[in-house]
Amino acid sequence: MISGGNASSLPLVGGLPEPTIKDLSKPGRRAFNYPKLDVDEQEINHECIKVEKAPLPEVSEHDLVMHFSRLAHRNFAVDLGFYPLGSCTMKYNPRFADWVASLDGYANLHPATPEKYSQGSMEILHVLEDYLLKITGMDYASFQPPAGASGELTGLLIIKNYLLENNLENKKNIIVPDSAHGTNPASAKMAGFDVVEVSTNQDGLVDVNELKKLVNKDTAGLMLTNPNTGGLFEEDIIEIAKIIHDVGGLVYYDGANLNAIVGICRPGDMGFDIVHSNLHKTFATPHGGGGPGSGPVAVKEFLKEYLPGPIVNKIKDRYEWYQPNKSIGRMHGYHGNFLVSLRALAYMKLLGKEGLDTLGSFAVLNARYLSSIISKILPLAYEKPCMHEFVTTSKELKKSHKIKAYDIGKALLDKGFHSPTIYFPLIIEEALMFEPTETQTVETLDDLSETLNEIIEDLKNNNDKLNQYPKNLPVGRPNELIPAKHLTVNWGDFELLEITE
Amino acid sequence: MYVPHSDIDIKKIYKELDISSLDELFEHIPKDLLLENGIDVGDSISELEAIEYFENIAKKNKSDLVCFAGGGHYDVYLPHTVKTLTMRPEFMTSYTPYQPEISQGVLQALFEFQSLVCDLTEMELANASLYDGATSIAEAISVAINKTKRENIIISQSLNPNNKEVINTLIDSDKFNLNYVELKENRFPDDYLFTDKDAAFVVSYPHYNGSAQDLTNLVTRAKEKGVISICYVDPTLLGILKTPGNMGFDIVVAEGQSIGTPLSYGGPTVGWFATKKEYARLVPGRIIGETRDANSLKSYVMTLRAREQDIRREKASSNICTNQTLNAIGSAIHLCWLGPEGIYSMGYQAMQKANYLKNLLEENNIDVINSESSIREFVVKTSKDPEIIIDNMADNGFLAGIKYDDNHILVAVTEKRTKDEIDKYVKTFVEVNND
Repeated sequence: MISGGNASSLPLVGGLPEPTIKDLSKPGRRAFNYPKLDVDEQEINHECIKVEKAPLPEVSEHDLVMHFSRLAHRNFAVDLGFYPLGSCTMKYNPRFADWVASLDGYANLHPATPEKYSQGSMEILHVLEDYLLKITGMDYASFQPPAGASGELTGLLIIKNYLLENNLENKKNIIVPDSAHGTNPASAKMAGFDVVEVSTNQDGLVDVNELKKLVNKDTAGLMLTNPNTGGLFEEDIIEIAKIIHDVGGLVYYDGANLNAIVGICRPGDMGFDIVHSNLHKTFATPHGGGGPGSGPVAVKEFLKEYLPGPIVNKIKDRYEWYQPNKSIGRMHGYHGNFLVSLRALAYMKLLGKEGLDTLGSFAVLNARYLSSIISKILPLAYEKPCMHEFVTTSKELKKSHKIKAYDIGKALLDKGFHSPTIYFPLIIEEALMFEPTETQTVETLDDLSETLNEIIEDLKNNNDKLNQYPKNLPVGRPNELIPAKHLTVNWGDFELLEITE
Repeated sequence: MYVPHSDIDIKKIYKELDISSLDELFEHIPKDLLLENGIDVGDSISELEAIEYFENIAKKNKSDLVCFAGGGHYDVYLPHTVKTLTMRPEFMTSYTPYQPEISQGVLQALFEFQSLVCDLTEMELANASLYDGATSIAEAISVAINKTKRENIIISQSLNPNNKEVINTLIDSDKFNLNYVELKENRFPDDYLFTDKDAAFVVSYPHYNGSAQDLTNLVTRAKEKGVISICYVDPTLLGILKTPGNMGFDIVVAEGQSIGTPLSYGGPTVGWFATKKEYARLVPGRIIGETRDANSLKSYVMTLRAREQDIRREKASSNICTNQTLNAIGSAIHLCWLGPEGIYSMGYQAMQKANYLKNLLEENNIDVINSESSIREFVVKTSKDPEIIIDNMADNGFLAGIKYDDNHILVAVTEKRTKDEIDKYVKTFVEVNND
C-alpha cells in the first residue's frame, strides 16, 4: 500500500562500499582557504612547536562534499521514513526549530559572555523552564544535563546530597524496576548507590507487594518511568511514591516516556520529587544520529538549592545567574546543550496550549490503534491498555518457526521501515517494542502492520530465508565479532588484520 | 500541530478502538491525576509570528562582539561546507545506529571521526564522542581509577574553573583525593614527585592560562609510578604543537567545539576521548569498528558493546547513552576541510596574531604575565576590576576576554582575528585600562 512513512522507494540498494576519506586523499589537494596572514611574521621558538605536519587527509572540497553526502545517503532518518522505535519517541522534528538554532544571536554567542550581554539566551532558558515546569508539575529546573543519562545522574546526586544534609547518608539503596532502561542502574552506581531491583508483575506493572518488602531504612529512593518501559501506566503510582516517602526516600521520574502524558497528567502531581525530561524525545529536537540531546532536571521547591548551578533567576526585567547554595555542582562545562533547549522552546511555542494539551492524547491514540491492529499478528506482552508504546513478543513464532524478533526487525528494514526496538525491556522474551508517536498517519500505521504480516507469513513459509534479510540495503548483516575481538577501530586496522592472518 | 489526522482518520481509529472520545483512552488513570485545565501556557503561534519572537530575543544577545574570549571555546572560522553537510537530514534526524544495515552513513562518519582524532593526537583508539571537554576529563579520571584501583588524582590547578567544578561533581571526594597542583612560573612543576598511590595525572595542554610546556618528562615520571597520564588538549593547536601521543599520554580528551561546531553558548559541543588499545574495555561511550558483512562487503558496527549501560547495566563503564554524534560528524568534516595545511595554518596564524597582540600590549606598558610561554592565549594584568574592563570593552564592540582573577583577564586569539581588530583592541584596551 501507499503511505507517507514507507521508505521502500529509497535507492539504498547495495553496491560497492564507500571508500574512506583517507582512501580519497592525495598529497597536495586541499579544501581550506584562509586569508593571508596580515601581521608581521616573527620567528617563534617554543619547546612545544613541532616540525612535521598533522597526518590529516588531503582532499578537494568537491570530493569532501561528495563523500559525506554519499555517507548521508547510506542512512535511514526520521525525514525519510517511519521509525517505530519503542522508547525513543522518533517524532517529526520541525525544520523551523533548526532555523531558530542557526540564528547568529544564539549560535555565535561565546559561553563566557557576561550575563549583561547574554540576556537573550537567559530569557530563552527562563521561558523554557516556565513551560517545562507547567508540563511536569515541578518548581525549579536546571538545564545543565546534556542528555537523559546525565539528568539521571544529576537527580541521584541531588538525592545523595539531600540525604547527607539530613544525616541520612546510611541510606544506600536505589530501587529500580527490572524493566528499567540500563542507564538507571548505571547512573545509580555512578552516584555511589547500591541498586536493588523490584520485579514487574504479570500485568506489567511494578509489583507493589514486593516493593513493600524491599523498602526499608536503607532505601534512598526509587527511579521510575511512568508510563513504564512496557508502555503501561503505573496505576498505583501514588501508593508507590508514598511507600518510598514513608521511609524518607525520594522518588525520581525518568522522563524517557514523558510524551505519553503531556497534557494528561504530571509527574509532579504523582508524587515525584525529581524529574528529568528528554527534550530530544518529547520536544522534537533531532536525535543527530545518537546525539546531542538535552536532559534538564526539575525538582520540587525543597530541593531547589541542590540543583546544578548556575540557574537563571528573573529579577524585575533582568535575568541573573543564581548559584544554588547546596548545589551538587556543575554537570556540564557551561549551560548544557543550549541550542537543543532552544529548539525545544521553538517547538513548544508552535504547539502552544492547544498542541501541548493534546500531545499525549494523540501519541496514545496512535499507539493504541497500532497495538490493536498489530496484536492480530503478534501477541501483546501485556493485556492492559497501552499508553504511547507497547510491547509484543515473537516467543511463539520462535518456538514454531524459529523466527526471532531480530529476524523480523531485519526484514522490516528491507521493506522501508526502521525496526522496532527489539529485546527490550529485557524481561520480555523476544520483545518487539513499537512507538508510533503522534506524527504518523493512519495509512503509515496500517502499512507497517500489513508489511509486518507479509514478512511473518513469508518467513513462516520460507524458513530458509530467515538469515537473508536485509537484502536491499547497502550491506547485509555485519559480523559483529571481528571488531570486538580484533579492535578494528581505526582506518587501516582491518587491512592490517587481513595481512597478518 | 504536526498531528496528521483528518476527521475521517479519527473516525476510523475510534471505530477500531471502539471509543468515542480521547478521554476514554485514559480511564485507567486515577481521576485525581488527570489535568482539568491542561497546561497553562500561551496560545499556539504560527511560524511567521515565531520568527519575530525568536529574532527579537536573539537581539538581546551581543553575539557580534569581536571575540577575544577562549578558555576552551574559540571563535574560529566555521566553513559553510561543514555547516551544510552536518545539517543533512540523514545525519541530523537519524537515531543511534543500532541497526547497522540502515545506518552505514552515520557509522562510517563516526569511524572516520575516531580515526581522524587518533591521527591528530597520535593515539590508537577514540570513542564516538562524549558530552563536552569538561565531562570528558571526569570520564578519563574514572578510567584511571578503574584501571589502577588507586585513590589519588593529581590535577593541574591551571584548568578552566568550570572543568574543575565538573570534576568535583563527578568524582566522589569521599572516596578519592583530588590534589590540585599549582603551576610554578607557568609550568606544572617538572620535578613533581608522583607516588604509587596516584591513579591519574591530569594536565591541560596548553594550560588554562595559555602557557604550553613539553610534558614528556612528567609523563615518563608518572608512568614509572604506574600513574595514568591524561591530557586535556586544545585541538586547534594540534597542527603546530607536539602531540599528546608523542609525549606519551595514556588518555587524551578535548573540548571539540572549535573543530566543527559554532560557539553555541557552550552547547551542544563535543567531547573527544582517545586512548591506547590496552584500555579499550574501560572506555566510556560508543565505539565504532570496521567489519565485513556476509558477502564480505566492508561495513561498520558499534563494537565492544559489553561496556555499555544497555547491556551491562550497573556494571557499565559509564552511564552515557545519548552522546554528541552530530557534533562529532561536524568535527570529522571540519578536519577533512582543513587537512594538514589548514590545521597548521589555523594554529600558526593564531600564534602569530597572538604574538602581535602581546607585543603591542607590552609596547603600551600593559603586562602580559606569560608572554614567552604562551601560544595563542595569555593572561593580561588590568589596572582595575576585570569585570569593569570587560564591560567597557563590550561597549566598544569587544568581548575582551574572560576574567582570570581580581586583576587579570585571559585573552585568546584565533586565526579569524585581523590586524585591524587587534590594533583597535589594543587602542581601546589602553584607554579603558588607563581611564
